[in-house]
Amino acid sequence: MATILTVDDTASMRQMISFTLNSVGYEVLQASDGKEALKLLQGKKVDLVIADVNMPNMDGIALVKSLREQADYKFTPILMLTTESQESKRQQGKVAGATGWIVKPFNPEQLLTIVKKVLG
Amino acid sequence: MNGHSNFSHASLVSSASWPRWWLWAAVGMTVSLSWTVPFVPWWAALGSWMCGVLTLTILAFFARKQDESFPHEDGEYLESHETKNVLEQVDALMAHSKDIELIPQVDEVLQNMAADNQRRRLDDLMHRWVDVGQRYGEAALVLRREILNVIKQTEQAANTIASSFEAVINKATIQARQAMELLEGTQGAANDGTPQSLKDFIQVSDERLNKMADEVVRVADLSVNMVRELDGVQNRTQAIDGFLLDVEKLADQTSLLALNADIEAARVGEHGRGFSVVASEVRRLSKRSHEFSDRIRVHLKEVRTGLSKTYGDMRTLSAADMEHALTIKDDVLSLTRSLEGKNREVAETVSRINEISKEIAQDVQNVVVSLQFHDITSQKLNGMLEPMDDLRRTLYHLMQETVNLDKGLLKNLPGNENWLLRMRDDVAAGGEANSGKEGAQKTLKFRGATGSGPAVELF
Repeated sequence: MATILTVDDTASMRQMISFTLNSVGYEVLQASDGKEALKLLQGKKVDLVIADVNMPNMDGIALVKSLREQADYKFTPILMLTTESQESKRQQGKVAGATGWIVKPFNPEQLLTIVKKVLG
Repeated sequence: MNGHSNFSHASLVSSASWPRWWLWAAVGMTVSLSWTVPFVPWWAALGSWMCGVLTLTILAFFARKQDESFPHEDGEYLESHETKNVLEQVDALMAHSKDIELIPQVDEVLQNMAADNQRRRLDDLMHRWVDVGQRYGEAALVLRREILNVIKQTEQAANTIASSFEAVINKATIQARQAMELLEGTQGAANDGTPQSLKDFIQVSDERLNKMADEVVRVADLSVNMVRELDGVQNRTQAIDGFLLDVEKLADQTSLLALNADIEAARVGEHGRGFSVVASEVRRLSKRSHEFSDRIRVHLKEVRTGLSKTYGDMRTLSAADMEHALTIKDDVLSLTRSLEGKNREVAETVSRINEISKEIAQDVQNVVVSLQFHDITSQKLNGMLEPMDDLRRTLYHLMQETVNLDKGLLKNLPGNENWLLRMRDDVAAGGEANSGKEGAQKTLKFRGATGSGPAVELF
């Protein structure tokens, strides 16, 4: 089963995402911001990244840009899961190289459908 | 001018005289005490009256003092007091000289008065402004601290709820899985012929029991056949009885024949002696034949008795066997029916548990959505902090400038003098946080949370 990294500065959000993904058998890794995520991904390959946009130290958009510069993560799907629903923010995400945009609060069934779809 | 002058004098007289209520109160008290004279001693009434008058006089004295010492509290009074001063000066000027050349001096006095009034109003406004600034500064600090506390507390609560919820769901999942295993265990099929489930057990035991019952019935049938065979054997022993009678008759005839031969031998005398010996031997044989026949009959009787006993036993045995087997079969049959009923109940309960598990799965979805409230509310609260800090920062700079204008303002304020310092320190701390990336992002979060667009979008 695929390995998924969830990046969010709110612990309860990470817990809910992990819980939802674990329930169908995905292996889930957690990071509380962009920097921690990059550190965790060093020498490790995950199949999907689900990241919040607004986080301390390094935000979601910067994380996407940084990951897209790495050869290993050039084509790895990255979903943004955020309270942001502004068109301008979405465009920033799209330009940075994000695969999709999900507005919080997420519905577990919906999240699983999207994850399945982007993992192919 | 004269009218104003009169008004000024009247107010002077009015403020300097004893209050009118003192006179009315003294008269009222005298009247009420004079009414008591017939009922109490004259010295008691007089003493009370004097005490009352003394109290009223003291009260009136202080009332006068107060009137004189706080003339600036009321704006209207202040204005009339100012006017009074000016008019006094004007009256003085008019009294000393009626010369028209002194009129420019009146204008100057009026202008001075207006400027003075304006300065006092400004002072008052400044005091109020610094007071409001101080109060807002304190309130903003309290608000900031409380909002941060709320965020922290909701975060802790949300984490606890999320952990407990996860634990509950994990346990519910294990419970549902075990229920399903139980269902499969009680309803599943046996693969290698050995009973693996309760259902299989019932089926196998039913089969074995039927087989055993059939065996018992077969044994009972065999017993019936044996009884029939024994009947035949008994009939044959009766036939042997008949044969024995025939043998006895033959022996009797042989004995009679030997007797006749003996008589005939006696008649022929010496020549018949040998024949007589043969006749007595024949008689002896006949006797022995009788003895044999009797002994055979005795044995035959014993055999018949034994057979008849065996016959009876076998009949009893076969009947009991059959009855017992049928009873056991019925008992076990009802037992298996009851087990089947229980098994059905177990299956129904387990499938109900399975349905509940599905319902729980639906509820889980709702809880997962609801549990994200903390993330959203804390972002909104953080978003509130930024404009509030901005406002406080602006206020701090304004306060600083105001205090720089007049150092005395800060000292006149109630409470400790360090409030501006504290406000600056907190603003500096807030400013540092806000100058960082987090602060800017929190503002964006706040704005973002109010935006609109599709909930899910794949680029």
